[in-house]
Amino acid sequence: MIVELGHYALVLAFALTLVQCFLPLWGALTGDDRLMAVAPPVSVTLFMLIMISFVALTIAYLTSDFSVLNVVQNSHSAKPFIYKFTGVWGNHEGSMLLWVLILVFFGALVGVFGGNLPKDLKAATLAVQAWVTGGFILFLLATSNPFARVANPPLEGADLNPILQDIGLAIHPPLLYVGYVGFSITFSFAVAALILGRTDAAWARWVRPWTLLAWCFLTLGIAMGSYWAYYELGWGGWWFWDPVENASFMPWLAGTALLHSAIVMEKREALKIWTVLLAIFTFSLSLLGTFLVRSGVLTSVHAFATDPARGVFILGLLVFFIGGSLALYAWRAPMLKQGGLFAPISREGGLVLNNLFLTAACAAVFVGTLYPLALDAVTGEKISVGAPFFNLTFGPLMIPLLLAVPFGPILAWKRGDLLAASQRLYVAFGLALVFTLFTFWLWGMEKVLAPLGVGLAVWVMAGAVSEIVTRVKFFEIGPKRGFARLVGLPGSAWGTVVAHFGVGVTVLGIVTASAFQEERIETMRPGDTVEVSGYQVTFDGAAPRRGPNYVEEVGHFTIRQGGVLVTELDPSKRVYTARQMPTTEAGIHTIGFSQIYLSMGESRGDGAIDVRVYFKPLITLIWIGCVIMSLGAVFSMADRRLRIGAPKPASRRKTAQPAAAE
Amino acid sequence: MTRKQRRLTLIGSAGAVLAVALGLILFALNDQIVFFQSPTDITQKSIPAGQRIRLGGLVEEGSVVRADNAQVSFRVTDTANAVAVTYKGILPDLFREGQGVVTEGIVNADGTFVADSVLAKHDENYMPKEVAEALKDQGHWQGGEGEAN
Amino acid sequence: MIFWILLALMTGVAALSVLVPLARAGQPASGSTGGADEAVYKEQLTAIDTELERGLIEPDAAEAARTEIARRLLAAHDKSEQRFRMRTSGLRMKTAQAFALAALPLVALATYFTLGSPDEPDQPLIARLIAPAEGQSVDVLIARVERHLAENPEDGQGWEVIAPVYLSRGQPEASARAYANAIRILGPRPDWLTDMGEALTMANQGLVTANARQAFERAASMEPTAVKPRFFLAIALGQEGNTQAAVQAWESLLEGADETAPWVAAAKQQLAGLQQGENALRGPSQQDIEATQEMSAEDRQEMIRGMVSGLAERLSQEGGSAAEWNRLMQAYVVLGERQKAEETLAAAQAAYAENPADLSLIKDTASALGLSGS
Repeated sequence: MIVELGHYALVLAFALTLVQCFLPLWGALTGDDRLMAVAPPVSVTLFMLIMISFVALTIAYLTSDFSVLNVVQNSHSAKPFIYKFTGVWGNHEGSMLLWVLILVFFGALVGVFGGNLPKDLKAATLAVQAWVTGGFILFLLATSNPFARVANPPLEGADLNPILQDIGLAIHPPLLYVGYVGFSITFSFAVAALILGRTDAAWARWVRPWTLLAWCFLTLGIAMGSYWAYYELGWGGWWFWDPVENASFMPWLAGTALLHSAIVMEKREALKIWTVLLAIFTFSLSLLGTFLVRSGVLTSVHAFATDPARGVFILGLLVFFIGGSLALYAWRAPMLKQGGLFAPISREGGLVLNNLFLTAACAAVFVGTLYPLALDAVTGEKISVGAPFFNLTFGPLMIPLLLAVPFGPILAWKRGDLLAASQRLYVAFGLALVFTLFTFWLWGMEKVLAPLGVGLAVWVMAGAVSEIVTRVKFFEIGPKRGFARLVGLPGSAWGTVVAHFGVGVTVLGIVTASAFQEERIETMRPGDTVEVSGYQVTFDGAAPRRGPNYVEEVGHFTIRQGGVLVTELDPSKRVYTARQMPTTEAGIHTIGFSQIYLSMGESRGDGAIDVRVYFKPLITLIWIGCVIMSLGAVFSMADRRLRIGAPKPASRRKTAQPAAAE
Repeated sequence: MTRKQRRLTLIGSAGAVLAVALGLILFALNDQIVFFQSPTDITQKSIPAGQRIRLGGLVEEGSVVRADNAQVSFRVTDTANAVAVTYKGILPDLFREGQGVVTEGIVNADGTFVADSVLAKHDENYMPKEVAEALKDQGHWQGGEGEAN
Repeated sequence: MIFWILLALMTGVAALSVLVPLARAGQPASGSTGGADEAVYKEQLTAIDTELERGLIEPDAAEAARTEIARRLLAAHDKSEQRFRMRTSGLRMKTAQAFALAALPLVALATYFTLGSPDEPDQPLIARLIAPAEGQSVDVLIARVERHLAENPEDGQGWEVIAPVYLSRGQPEASARAYANAIRILGPRPDWLTDMGEALTMANQGLVTANARQAFERAASMEPTAVKPRFFLAIALGQEGNTQAAVQAWESLLEGADETAPWVAAAKQQLAGLQQGENALRGPSQQDIEATQEMSAEDRQEMIRGMVSGLAERLSQEGGSAAEWNRLMQAYVVLGERQKAEETLAAAQAAYAENPADLSLIKDTASALGLSGS
């Protein structure tokens, strides 16, 4: 009964999206209040229905209900509880249901918390969101119904892919999806604005919290996915420029650009056309990513089951939404009025520069991802575009952008003074120089680029800090008043500082971990020792061990530094019995921000094994930086000004004002 | 600065950045992409020593020889021709004799393929797509379509 | 039934979430459309004041920004005057209501009836495994025993029950493993050793392997008169090419055997084959194995007994329906255990003493089976 209730809830949600697609939009276009008022409650009902559906599927998984085809194919009664749960979205149907759940979740958020929005914009946005939702529910029902039943239920299911039996899977896809799919709401806002002709500064203000929310989750999701690949795949790499990774990275680049251009639109009403286009592009890239991953055009660990019918369906959705929105854009954009003027050297100019580089980088990733597919389709020639391509294109585009990051927030709106701005960055520049020289002194001239990279990272970090310190004139007015001013700064200012600082942290991690990493690959026998970056790694021997659903060969390693014991690590080579699938479990030890990473190859039989030992200096900064960046988004979202127009926060603002003023 | 000049500056800088990006992409596409070859391609076409290629096929049964220092050598075959490959490092989990594999590296002067990465995909049923197609061309592939799980 | 009520409930909530706002939002709401825009611009103006106060922007820049925002504020105000005119239309309302009342349930139900299977109940694994045994497929029953054994691997009785079942279902390896476990836990018994040997032989396509042979030898030493282990040992000798010993073995086996026993024909055939010097390596044919299985009808009974004792235990601990009690009585009678059947009857009568209808059912069965009930 529960399963069938879930199925009906999904079907009912589809029928309800049909209502939501038309009535509120009709109301918004004709100015009918009552029709517009339908949108928020329906958005909440939709969320509840999909939630029922999702819970029903989850229950089927948890109770191993093998009368549900999806459960049979992707679960096993002996699987640990947590992986039964994560198995819900560890497969095609379930993950698409999660997609829809997040779509309606964002719809409901706007329905409930969008009190500051004008009614027509809110109604139209929710209607557009319903179009997207309806399309994806139709996709589920037509090609990949998670509630398909089996007439004669078997007693055991096929196991879940063991590489996906990891706690990383529990957190990474939902986070990534919240980000990826979250940009659907900015898309809906953009399309609604085009339909209503309402693209103005206020629109940008209203969209900002939603963009920030989606961006925050996408950042965390990508970081999480990267860390997961790092410790689960056993290759020691944290980013592979794999098409599936790129599929989530492109919306991130476009989303980051959107975040910045929306500021210009909000403050100066300039870049309107561009911002709306970016909002459409960002979600289009999310859709494209889904298409690439789900259609089987790419085969990778993330491409669960592939089926041509699904590919065609998603392609259809892609063409409909991207084509439709771009057609609407082409029709409406010329009617938009010119916005405010600005000089090339100004805050606006800086943000334009940011957008130029981000979109160019995004285009480079796009070409690198799709070119092999296109070439194969056209000429049948098979090529691979790997890390060297991306390093050569993406890298050079990022460097000028990073150089410019500290200047952006310091320049004044409209007409900035580059010289004055540079004066405020003397300290940051000095620090960057010191660190560059220090790294040169430490490592010598053999690696020329790396110290410059370190300098760049320090420049970005110090630039972010000095921006805020000079902004409140901290040293001129004395620490006491300075602190008071710092605390009183609006959330969005803090958001900028924190996020930019995070960028610097990530860059520092990337530079040091790639340039100064030490790697040793050795065949080791018990008692052998290798030395890497001053650590002595001794192999003590390997022994077999049994886990709940796997057997493994566990190596025991002792790590010493100058004879002093640092830690012991037990990397292993596992074979999951149900599928006879081998996996590698790396042994990782964190020292400060750096890590020692051990992974084992197959045993040679005579007690010798191949071992890969890495020392990865400051590698954790890569992910810590990402967390800091999303923290920046949280600060920015907390900015009380974003809630302007909502009756309650407005009154609270009045009481908060005097306290903040001094 | 007049309105027109401002606009020109904007368009000019946009054009410059895009031109740089385009140049980088074209240069990288020319230089950094790696072509996929089957063992037959390598034996028939003369590939200049030192050019990076991807070699895919099946690991020949009984050809894997492990030496010390994690040095491995094996032969990659498409059942018509085979190429000797050497690699230093840890082979992926799913590397097995008789199974599909994709390696990337350069051809030596003596015709040996020196690989710096070896990929065997995550799924045991999965035959790398390029390999499957190359084998199909050779007429030796009996697996069904869409065998990728 | 409850399913349909919940279905109707969900549909109702969905329809109401459309209908209620349609009916309620007749009067102009307080937060007017234009107000939202204006609030944003007004806030931007105050923000400029704050920033100026703190010296974050220059006065002339602040002035310019103020003019710009004020212009936007005015434009927004004009627009909202223009936009904010309530327009409602009866036709629109009726269409919307029809949509919610008719189209919504229709589309939902029509789609659901094409795609869904409303009659299919949930089948959580646990529930399937603890559901009453009747009407369950053999697979479920086996799965239950397997789960039980996975949790209690030291339950020798359990292994004993499942072992012959595996063999009859063509899983000789599993059967041999189960026998081995039973023997390990409960100690060797000649019939188990024999059956394990048989399972091992079947697992190797009729070849009596060293392990199997060892089992048969142990069985034969424990129970020298048993026919089956000796039968297989004779086959083993033949397969090893030890023709003379094999012939001897067959002859001693056939000596004084009941000519009508089903295995005798097979044994004679083997013997004849050996004497003609051919086919020495031939394993027992399927027929031969079947013949030996007929020979040991007790083993079969053992298996049934295992299942019956399971039922008995459950009934004595948790009770059950009258039909189940009847089935248990019948089973005991079939197995020739009248004493136990009588005990069951007594227990059933005690259990249903308060329930005359069921009691009479039980008594009817008992008298039909010829049980006294004393």
